[in-house]
Amino acid sequence: MKHVGAIAGRELNSLFVSPVAYAVMTLFAVLAGFFFLSGVLQFQEYVIRLQSFQAMEQLEELNLNDHVIAPFLHVMSVVLLFLVPGVTMGLFASEKTNGTLELLLTSPITIWELVIGKFLAAAAFIAILVLLLGLFPAILFTYGDPEFGKTAAGMLGLLLIGMAYASIGAFASSVTQSQFVAFFLAFVLLLVLWMLGFLADLGAAGGATSSDSVGDLLRYLSTAEHFESMVMGLVDTKDLAYFGVIVVAFLTLTKAAVESVRWR
Amino acid sequence: MIEASGLAKRYGDLVAVDDVSFSVQPGEVVGFLGPNGAGKTTTMRILTGFLPPTDGRAVIDGHDIFSDPLAARRAIGYLPESPPVYPEMSVEDYLAYVAKLKDVPRRQRRAAVDRALERCGLADVRRRVIGMLSKGYRQRVGLAQAIVHDPPVMILDEPTVGLDPIQIREIRTLIRDLAGTREGKARTVILSTHILPEVEAICQRVIIMHRGKKALDAPLGELQRGGASLEEIFARTTAREVPVPSDLVLEARP
Repeated sequence: MKHVGAIAGRELNSLFVSPVAYAVMTLFAVLAGFFFLSGVLQFQEYVIRLQSFQAMEQLEELNLNDHVIAPFLHVMSVVLLFLVPGVTMGLFASEKTNGTLELLLTSPITIWELVIGKFLAAAAFIAILVLLLGLFPAILFTYGDPEFGKTAAGMLGLLLIGMAYASIGAFASSVTQSQFVAFFLAFVLLLVLWMLGFLADLGAAGGATSSDSVGDLLRYLSTAEHFESMVMGLVDTKDLAYFGVIVVAFLTLTKAAVESVRWR
Repeated sequence: MIEASGLAKRYGDLVAVDDVSFSVQPGEVVGFLGPNGAGKTTTMRILTGFLPPTDGRAVIDGHDIFSDPLAARRAIGYLPESPPVYPEMSVEDYLAYVAKLKDVPRRQRRAAVDRALERCGLADVRRRVIGMLSKGYRQRVGLAQAIVHDPPVMILDEPTVGLDPIQIREIRTLIRDLAGTREGKARTVILSTHILPEVEAICQRVIIMHRGKKALDAPLGELQRGGASLEEIFARTTAREVPVPSDLVLEARP
């Protein structure tokens, strides 16, 4: 595994030399700022309204975690849905168009080293994004009193969903030469995985009672479902394992796809 | 130094390389000749471990490319048809990266990069971004990349294609230079080309490939003693009908 660092380092470097990293970071920061501000303003308005109605019970229940941070993290997980493919689209596709895949595959490195190095580069970049995002809840801690544990669990959830997205994006990039196709494929895969839970809800609403186990399975496979419970402050090994399995599964597929160049 | 026996590469019914065997002695410079689609690139890709053969085996510097692939690859410096460079990297950063990939020990990396830069005449452009270099310089970077770990074997796929006559002469001189000197020992080189004078200028031995088969394998001196020019020999060899299982013989490029 000694080449992992070299591969990840070069990848991160090239990400920051190209405009992609800055475009993604800017877009992410602007959207985060916008959603955060609108969340805070809505919360403020809500508080004022409840106060004018003297609705003390509801005011008691109101808190920053459930009404500002949780919706904010939710929206940002959707933003990651289309930003992560932008980060990962070049991981393998650009090596193919550059002809540098031939250099990598004729070097004394293993394909696992290559795949893990690439994944770690994308994961590190996403971790930077999530850290940047942490600034916003930090503001709330300065002026308000949200629960730390719950906030941290939600942030961890966002980081984990980002890692899962990165592994799926890496896979999409490994099956094509075109960065555009890689982006699109990753986006579609992420969207489907994210929507599985809604699909199950839709089925249940449609009266498909006999397919309860199918609905449960779909819900279990959905990324949104596991993220949800972490945002609620619940760090369950079940959810951690889910994200771990997604990452391992898609990196294994990526390894197979890269290797398949040899067997074609 | 290089032992290939019975190498074959088939893609379904297409036969790209068919039962090719040869051995190359240490220090020998061998020219791989053949018309386009003769199987030169595929053979080289098998030797470098990029493609697995359908049949046969190859041993590089005592390491089987199949059972001991990492050691075999470590012994090879490979320049594919287009230099495998990252356009956004500077020349020295790129070479340092390749040195890491090729297991040059950390302490010797600096020196290895400096030596490769100097050998390939890149010292003046070391901090330049590769994407901004001319084609000839990019080819030099490709060669520098192939020798940065000082491998005993160099495999070059059409190293002068697409260059102007002056660049071609420079690259040829460079290859001859790199072949001759490797810490006192000579380097084994296989290079493919379809430019005949190139073979006469650089190589000691010629292997002509035709339709995936080895059609001729002889020292250059012996051929020249025969009186015929290399061009005549080439024309005669590649015109001869070699029996092949399928007449659809393609050079596969993924």
